[in-house]
Amino acid sequence: MKKTVFGGLCAILLGCTSTLVQAETLRLANHGQAGIDAMKSTVERIEKKLGVKVEVVEYPAPDKDYLSKLLTELGAGNGPDLFSMPSTAAVADMVEAGYLAPITAEINAWEGYKNFYDVAKKLAVSPDGETYVMPYMLGIQEIYYRKDVLDKAGISTEQPKTWDDLLVRAEEIKAKTGAYGLLFPAGISWGSGAFDEGFQHLIVGSKTPQIVTDDGKLDLTGEGVKDVFNVYKTLIDKDLMPVQPLLGPEPWVIPKYEQFPAGKLVATTCGSWCYIFDWGRESKNPIPDVTEVVGTWTVPGQSGGQFVLANLAAPWAVNADSANVELAKKALLEIGSVETQVSYAARIGNIPASKDAAADPEFQKLTELVPIHAAAENGTFLKQAAGFGTVAEGVARATDALLRKEVDAAGAQKILVDYVKETLGDEAVK
Amino acid sequence: MAKTLQERRAERQLMIVLLPSLLLLFAFVIYPAIYSVYLSFTNEALTGAAARAPRFVGTRNYARLFNDAKFWNALFVTFVFVLGSAIIGQFVLGLVSALALRRRLVFRTLFSSIILLPNAAPEVVAGFMWISMLAGGDHATLSRVVSFFGLPTADWLQVFPLTMIIVVNTWRGIATAMILLTAGLSTVPQEIYEAARMDGATPSQMFRRITVPLMMPTILLYMLISTVSTIAVFGLVYALTRGGPGGATELISIYIYNQSFTAYQLGYGAAVAVIALLVSLMLGIAYVRAAKVEI
Repeated sequence: MKKTVFGGLCAILLGCTSTLVQAETLRLANHGQAGIDAMKSTVERIEKKLGVKVEVVEYPAPDKDYLSKLLTELGAGNGPDLFSMPSTAAVADMVEAGYLAPITAEINAWEGYKNFYDVAKKLAVSPDGETYVMPYMLGIQEIYYRKDVLDKAGISTEQPKTWDDLLVRAEEIKAKTGAYGLLFPAGISWGSGAFDEGFQHLIVGSKTPQIVTDDGKLDLTGEGVKDVFNVYKTLIDKDLMPVQPLLGPEPWVIPKYEQFPAGKLVATTCGSWCYIFDWGRESKNPIPDVTEVVGTWTVPGQSGGQFVLANLAAPWAVNADSANVELAKKALLEIGSVETQVSYAARIGNIPASKDAAADPEFQKLTELVPIHAAAENGTFLKQAAGFGTVAEGVARATDALLRKEVDAAGAQKILVDYVKETLGDEAVK
Repeated sequence: MAKTLQERRAERQLMIVLLPSLLLLFAFVIYPAIYSVYLSFTNEALTGAAARAPRFVGTRNYARLFNDAKFWNALFVTFVFVLGSAIIGQFVLGLVSALALRRRLVFRTLFSSIILLPNAAPEVVAGFMWISMLAGGDHATLSRVVSFFGLPTADWLQVFPLTMIIVVNTWRGIATAMILLTAGLSTVPQEIYEAARMDGATPSQMFRRITVPLMMPTILLYMLISTVSTIAVFGLVYALTRGGPGGATELISIYIYNQSFTAYQLGYGAAVAVIALLVSLMLGIAYVRAAKVEI
């Protein structure tokens, strides 16, 4: 009998001990080898500084698959303690779902946050006024063009002033070089990129530059939305952008990794990461002297103005249902450090959100990114709202129909509006 | 008449033996199916406000579905895919293989091994293998073959996407068809063929009048299994095309996945899944009835 009681007590003690040990383990979701490598030193630092064990769980690499798995786990209540989000558009919806723990107090009290660019801080604030994500990296997007191809063909490399100017330039490229003149990511296969790397660029410079009303509703019936789709339609109808590859399963591979390096696509929207990841030192098909050969234009507005789009790149957040919320928040602040920002910049090519990065010797070595970092303060962005994930999917569907030449601009706008209304309900849309 | 003590004990023992299977069936088949029906009447989602507080929306998902051109497209693509790959491709080639294997072939073992080989590769691996064969560019296998004959190359999965996935799924399913149909062929008594031969029947007549009618129960069983399993094909086609280009290969299974895990609308995805289940159920009932008539 005594032996049984003793055995039982030992089992309970062992159970409690293992629970305590488990409580000191943080599960961190990461995806893509470059992202995992970028976090290596940060993970070691968190373990050392906070005295915890960090278990890095590798998730599927494509953004779409990563987000699906993450959301499924969060919905089931067994998500990781800390995770990044592939796009800014996903944040507001995840806040609405109750997946993210607010970090407003902690991040505002944190010394390192004071030197973050205002644009990063603004992007991190959710519609309810709280901050839920660490906005440590920025995706600064512009139009990247092959300077060498334009020079050789005698085409101007001057900054286009308006959308018409941009389209005329694309036509000239097609006529003189035979190459595609301009690419805006589009279609269902490109996923949220159709919105993040395409639609957003144009809508911020359109007649209706925001798609969220003051009361938080989505306004997709504006004239600007139709005009944006009209730009896509013109590019497609005049064969100025590659269409077939965009309908395939990995639509970015041919235009970004093959056609652009070969000079068969001369201009495309892209972010600072293209200088490192797509065509630079981390690329499998690098363009020699990439910063010399590839130039940038800001995205012109419909009738003037210049726009540099800023997004949060892979913002990190704490799982609201984590058993270690407080500990995870402390780890999150470590992820926000300049050291981690520079590590990410070196491997992926995003821009550190902290102004302090400019003085970091390791960052100064990234000569491609230094000037973009300096200009990050002027980034433009769309006001965020719940439902942006659905809008992104609606844009993907609308542009997919344009790629297949099934609709005109008004038809594409109708697809977007109908999809968002069907998904979110009429009340979410103005 | 009252059951004897022995009969009651036997029944109890039978129940005890069946209980674990019944519990597993309920937990992993019946309950999820019922839950899917329930989900289809809600706006449950993986993200957004509906993830936190899903609500009952009545038949809204079904009303939306019947007006959704993409749903009808997925249903049509699935119909062509099942017809082309399961009912025509796999069946015809499986039957030819089964008939061939009944003869004394020189490399019979090698031949049957080759036909069984596609089942050895996991479907995603098989999918990627076929991508390398059907991709655009001069280095892809099919393009090299056609260019050898002086024909123009193409990105086959872009130009003939539905045909290509039918070919790939036919390749993958021949073995199953062959095994089932070989079993069916072995049930046809040889004496009938001998008698027919003595009566002067030609091979074609014997095939049409003896083989096919006597194999009908097996053929219908095969049709039932292959139709239902082909409606549920996902991994192979998802790896090949992800449903593209432009929905040309978006099977109902891929459409369900896209609605549930790309658009994150679990309620709507469940409504589509319920319709797919009903379609499979109706086809199943039709086959079973047809089989009974023939038997």
